[in-house]
Amino acid sequence: MKGIVFDIKRGVTKDGPGFRTSVFLKGCPLRCIWCHNPESQSPEIEHAVTTDEVCGREMSVKEVMDEVRRDKVFYSSSGGGMTLTGGEPTMQSEFAFALASAAHDEGIHVALDTCGFAPWAVFERMLAVVDLFLYDLKCMDAAKHRKLTGADNALILSNLNSIDAAGAKTWIRCPLVPGLNDSDSDLAALRDCMRSLRHVDKVEICPYHTLGLEKYAKFGRKIPAAVPPVPADIADIKRWRQICVLSPSGRKVAFPVHSMHTQTPIRCMHEFQSDGLDS
Amino acid sequence: MKIQISDMRYAERMARLTARKIEQTKEKQAKLGARDEDDYGLVLPPASFKVDLPVRDATGQWSGPRSWAANFRWLMENHPCYIDPDDAIAGRWMFMLSRMRLGYQLSRSNFAFDYSHLEPEQKKYDITTGIGKDAHFAPDYKIGLEPGWGGLLEKVRTARRQFAADAYAVELMEAEEQAILGVMEWTRRLAAAAGDRAMTEDDAVRRDNLVEMARICYKIVESKPETFREVVQWLAIFNMASRTYNRDGAGGQLDELLRPYYECDKAAGVLTDEDAEFQVFCLLLNDPHYYQIGGPSADGKDQTSRMSYIILEAAAKLKSSCNLTIRVWDGMDRGLFRRGVEILLANRLGYPRFSGDKALVEGFMKNGYSAALARSRIAVGCNWMSLPGLEYTLNDVVKINIAKVLEVAFAESNSLEELEANYRKHFKAAVDVTAKGIDFHLAHQYLNEPELMLNLLSHGPIEKGKDISHGGAMYYNMAIDGAGLAVVADSFGAIEERVVKEKTLSFAEVKAAVAANFAGEEGERVRMLLDSAGRYGAGGTAADRWAVKLTDILNGEIANHTTPDGFKLIPGWFTWADTLRFGRAVGATPNGRKAGEPISHGANPLPGFRKDGALTAMATAIASVQPGYGNTAPWQLEVDIGLADDEDAVEKVMALIDGHFKMGGTLVNINVVDAETILAAHKDPSKYPDLVVRVTGFTAYFNSLSPDFRQLVVKRLVREAV
Repeated sequence: MKGIVFDIKRGVTKDGPGFRTSVFLKGCPLRCIWCHNPESQSPEIEHAVTTDEVCGREMSVKEVMDEVRRDKVFYSSSGGGMTLTGGEPTMQSEFAFALASAAHDEGIHVALDTCGFAPWAVFERMLAVVDLFLYDLKCMDAAKHRKLTGADNALILSNLNSIDAAGAKTWIRCPLVPGLNDSDSDLAALRDCMRSLRHVDKVEICPYHTLGLEKYAKFGRKIPAAVPPVPADIADIKRWRQICVLSPSGRKVAFPVHSMHTQTPIRCMHEFQSDGLDS
Repeated sequence: MKIQISDMRYAERMARLTARKIEQTKEKQAKLGARDEDDYGLVLPPASFKVDLPVRDATGQWSGPRSWAANFRWLMENHPCYIDPDDAIAGRWMFMLSRMRLGYQLSRSNFAFDYSHLEPEQKKYDITTGIGKDAHFAPDYKIGLEPGWGGLLEKVRTARRQFAADAYAVELMEAEEQAILGVMEWTRRLAAAAGDRAMTEDDAVRRDNLVEMARICYKIVESKPETFREVVQWLAIFNMASRTYNRDGAGGQLDELLRPYYECDKAAGVLTDEDAEFQVFCLLLNDPHYYQIGGPSADGKDQTSRMSYIILEAAAKLKSSCNLTIRVWDGMDRGLFRRGVEILLANRLGYPRFSGDKALVEGFMKNGYSAALARSRIAVGCNWMSLPGLEYTLNDVVKINIAKVLEVAFAESNSLEELEANYRKHFKAAVDVTAKGIDFHLAHQYLNEPELMLNLLSHGPIEKGKDISHGGAMYYNMAIDGAGLAVVADSFGAIEERVVKEKTLSFAEVKAAVAANFAGEEGERVRMLLDSAGRYGAGGTAADRWAVKLTDILNGEIANHTTPDGFKLIPGWFTWADTLRFGRAVGATPNGRKAGEPISHGANPLPGFRKDGALTAMATAIASVQPGYGNTAPWQLEVDIGLADDEDAVEKVMALIDGHFKMGGTLVNINVVDAETILAAHKDPSKYPDLVVRVTGFTAYFNSLSPDFRQLVVKRLVREAV
């Protein structure tokens, strides 16, 4: 079986625990207006218009696994593994399932980094082969969610509840964009949602940044008009902390701050270490 | 086990000592200029001091035991006595006798015997021959600690009488006697200087310290050291004298050396952990000798003790150049490993380093040695392991620049097959001439420059009446390191990918472009194609396979081979700090590297080997090219700011090191990069006199590096950090 992969990164330390190999699958059903990987949205192989760059190549499960397997020794020494990400990996649900199964069969920890927008059957099947869901939660208000991402959030929330009900380990990731999805009521709603979940291990805030904007032109796209031209600042991030909650088990939820979908931690991270929220 | 030591009095003294060291470093830099090597612990002599060695020929040279002994004794007898009332140790060293011969060069030693018959071939392959090189093997301090200087003196006098019929042995033993007398005299003068200083010291604590310093030095002139502090002073005296003689910087298993004295003094109630830590701090400040802590004993038991932790904490407080290695092994106290990584990440000074016991032991045993010996072969040098007191090695001073070998082979080849065949042929020739050079050194060095200091702490030279380079040692395991692995692997890989598989270039096109140093538009097109081929380190590339093959070729000519005279050879991959010098000797190479550009560092892939720069990929690649005979192919790792700031950075770094060692890695040297600091220091080095970076296996003050070298470090660090 083959799929369209647009990158494989080894030695990643942000997409789940330990050292990970992140496999980026092309295609995404959402059109988040802040998306900084616009080249990942289309499921097709794409050519950049301003350079000779090509985004995406066809790879077999074996080819991907040959690459993933290279760091097996570090998965076991660090508690790491493979992360399927994208785009939205469940867009290529058969391929994603085949990869997750192959890794699972070899004893490699599998994380699925997902926006949650796929039929429940896709996730239901994944439960058996995925060890950790990295689940995006963007906005609780349905109308706002539709405006920001192009899709309703009902399916996303119902999948999240079902995954939680199934007992799967989950890290919630909240991409927050100043002025778009970070009003006090947005944050309160996010917090209430997370309070209701039983198997959340970690909440990660992914503050908006502008590093992906140049890629729009490169791949012949227009930057959505509503996108703020400046990245989130420390005041925003401080305010966002209120979504951090104690898990129902009473365990403190770890609270690292990551820049949105990148490996680079935000410099001000240590500023938040004094309030006892870190585990 | 974790220890907490805090003593304000010591904290203040440590701060003053560190501040003075920084001052002294500044002065050294101003006076001596840039030096691309270890910091060492030397300080400048008083401006009025004149060196007037008694023995020099018309060309400014001297050789032979008698001449070395006379010059060394003069130097010791006249050596200025540095006393710091805050220090636990008397003395600092100021000169390197071996560099006082006229025309000394770091890359080519003065040698009293003509080897011009070897030079054309040595030059052809850019061999760093090791001929005339000194030290680079390890002493067994116990040989000196147990009898003291008086006992050692008696030992060489007895030996001289025993070898009365052997003229060389008599000369050597007389020279050893002179060396010991010189050291004893200097120690006596240090004692007197400390006593004099005490008379004028107003502060009671300092005065008591100076009095104790004087008492200890007087005692250890002849008597064996018995207390912890006496041992520390004795070790420092030996280290300083050995540095003064010929720059020797090998230490030993410091925790096990000090533990018996520590336990004895603790039990007697005359030493606290604070005292011990401060005294070790002073020993490490005195000179950045290479020490190992932890690891298995000869019979396979973990050597980690409270002493190991005290040494580690002393090193953490040093915040200066330091070369401490923690041996990582299955049976270890992981707490020591963890604390080492914590210090490395918190202090960002490039130490401690970590060595991989499993591969080192299994590898050394492949030379026919026992597990007990293999475990005793410890990290005491830049890239190297040695059996203290048992082995003569020429570690880290014999190198074959394989980029040069490739250049020679490439010029004769018209296809990849021919290139491989020619590379094999020329590599063999390079090893042959290197081995002949080693034999030449071993045949003459005892007459050129006997190891008067290290002989004393080795098992054999005194007993046999032979210099360690000439039959005195128990074992001869002569090191040959290859240099330039990534450049050559990437060159082979690029040709295989672009010429053989894709046929986007012809061999002739590559050859023409390389010959023209990629000049012109066409040259640049070819260069870009070669440069963008899959690199060594990326994983699964042609270059990755070539790197492994090059290691097989290295082993095939060196491992389990002997020199023509029958001395065992051991292979490694290591460039030392010589990437620039090696690079200057080599024209353009088929990996897209232009003429004169630096060659690759140790076993590391070239920067940009993967778009993601994955550390795991690097660790895997370097593990795959380990020669595996007990010598190392170190991994020079730059941990970027992101990783070091991670919530679980310590676990991540431990996992990286564990994984690398599990796959066969031997030695990991880590720099934690702070890109902003490095860039700022590069702009104005004088503002950062205390910035320490790990250059290769050693740490050095950034400020002391030459501009070229700083540029290289900056390029590497900043590129990988941002």
